[in-house]
Amino acid sequence: MLRRSLPAACLALFAGAAMAQTLPPLPAAIRDQGQLRVGVRCDQPPYGFRGPDGGFAGVEVEMARQMAAWAFGSADKADLTCVTAENRIPQLNARRVDLLIATLGVTPERARVIDFSDAYRWGGSDMLVRKDSPIRKLDDVQGRTVIMLRGTTQALWFDANMPGLNSLRLNTAADALQALLQGRGDAYAHDAATLIVIAARDQSLRLVGEPFAVSDAAVGVRKNEPEWMAWINAALARMKAEKLYDTWVEKWIPADIRPFYAEAFNAPKPTAR
Amino acid sequence: MEFDLDYLMRQIPALRAGLALTVQASALAILISIAIGLVGASVRTLRLPGLAHLFVAYVELIRNTPLLVQLFFIFFGLPAVGLTLSLFWSGVLALSLWAGAFQTENIRGGLAAVSPGLSEAARAVGLTRAQYLRLIGLPLAVRTGLPAMLNTCVSLIKNSAYLSAIGVQELTGVAFDRIASDFRAFEMLAVLLVGYLSVVLSLSFAVRGIEYRLQAPFRR
Repeated sequence: MLRRSLPAACLALFAGAAMAQTLPPLPAAIRDQGQLRVGVRCDQPPYGFRGPDGGFAGVEVEMARQMAAWAFGSADKADLTCVTAENRIPQLNARRVDLLIATLGVTPERARVIDFSDAYRWGGSDMLVRKDSPIRKLDDVQGRTVIMLRGTTQALWFDANMPGLNSLRLNTAADALQALLQGRGDAYAHDAATLIVIAARDQSLRLVGEPFAVSDAAVGVRKNEPEWMAWINAALARMKAEKLYDTWVEKWIPADIRPFYAEAFNAPKPTAR
Repeated sequence: MEFDLDYLMRQIPALRAGLALTVQASALAILISIAIGLVGASVRTLRLPGLAHLFVAYVELIRNTPLLVQLFFIFFGLPAVGLTLSLFWSGVLALSLWAGAFQTENIRGGLAAVSPGLSEAARAVGLTRAQYLRLIGLPLAVRTGLPAMLNTCVSLIKNSAYLSAIGVQELTGVAFDRIASDFRAFEMLAVLLVGYLSVVLSLSFAVRGIEYRLQAPFRR
């Protein structure tokens, strides 16, 4: 028995080293489901959004599909669910999804209730204002109304750093943009990555351009699922090694705003307030 | 995750402000909606040409569309035609229009229950239709319609939770905001249940008192 299995084990080890990118085994609970239940964003271009055909689209959606392909042999085995900034962590902890690839920034508050994978990119924050707005830098928003989404990194940052600020908290990026365009707030604070897309599309708006609340984006997993976490980290490492991010960034992001995103996936995190 | 009372205590000031906003918005909307109901029921009973049809259309529009859609229409839709209301007043307007339609029907139902003999008697002594409504019809209709009107007020208070969707920091808005940042869902949802329950129960008790007083002439 031993004599037969030992060489086999050695062989497997060598084969693994040779292929370098073999992933660890899937946890039984995930394997038995036969599909990968992923929470992604549906209103955050270019990471997760509804494509022209109404289907799921974006870089993080590609990550989810790639993981499904590695786990179950087909990208169609990704069972995608739209999550919002507000409901994504409850969705994960209620076991409606098994992982979040949902523009999720790493914060201590969140780390109390879920576990984070290795970071796959960083994300800074910025503010969108109307073109004729007097707001030129972050501190100019004192005494004005800032629109933000509930539960986002920016909401936490303003709570901690500008506690008296007048803030309008909404649920979706679409609501927030609508509210900004109608003058219900003076600025809309969100991930810079999201705002760049909007600013490029809408000539009546501009970015303030002072980065703040820069955080790592990582995959969210329920607490104490080490096997599952190991698989996800291996999958993320393989995406980086195979330079898949570059392919996806090129696929989903127009050339004029592409460098910003390529940097977020490849360059080290900058320092900011 | 166990129930964290200390955490809850730290959130009390924000929750209290939220509760105050819920009560303010609901109270204003209840008053406005009853006014709408009184006017609507009168107009329909008097069969005022044009106006009566307008109220029929209004009631059907409100009863057959979701409140959330009405709210978004007022908040995001009306600014497109140049009418931009503040957060708070958008919410109060949506709740008032919604409940006003139901109050119109409640009071109209009450009017239908008033004995036709009274209307004939009023005409016989020379009262106009409007005088009949003001002096006899509506006071009696409100008495009969009171339980239904209370129901609508209770629904209005509960529906004020929708205002969080447009960013009004009322009770639900505050609680959901905290849940989104701190993930203490259990504590916050428990507060919501208790908060709404106490507001609605106080209203029910108050209305029961009014009902008792209004019935005084008919008690033996």
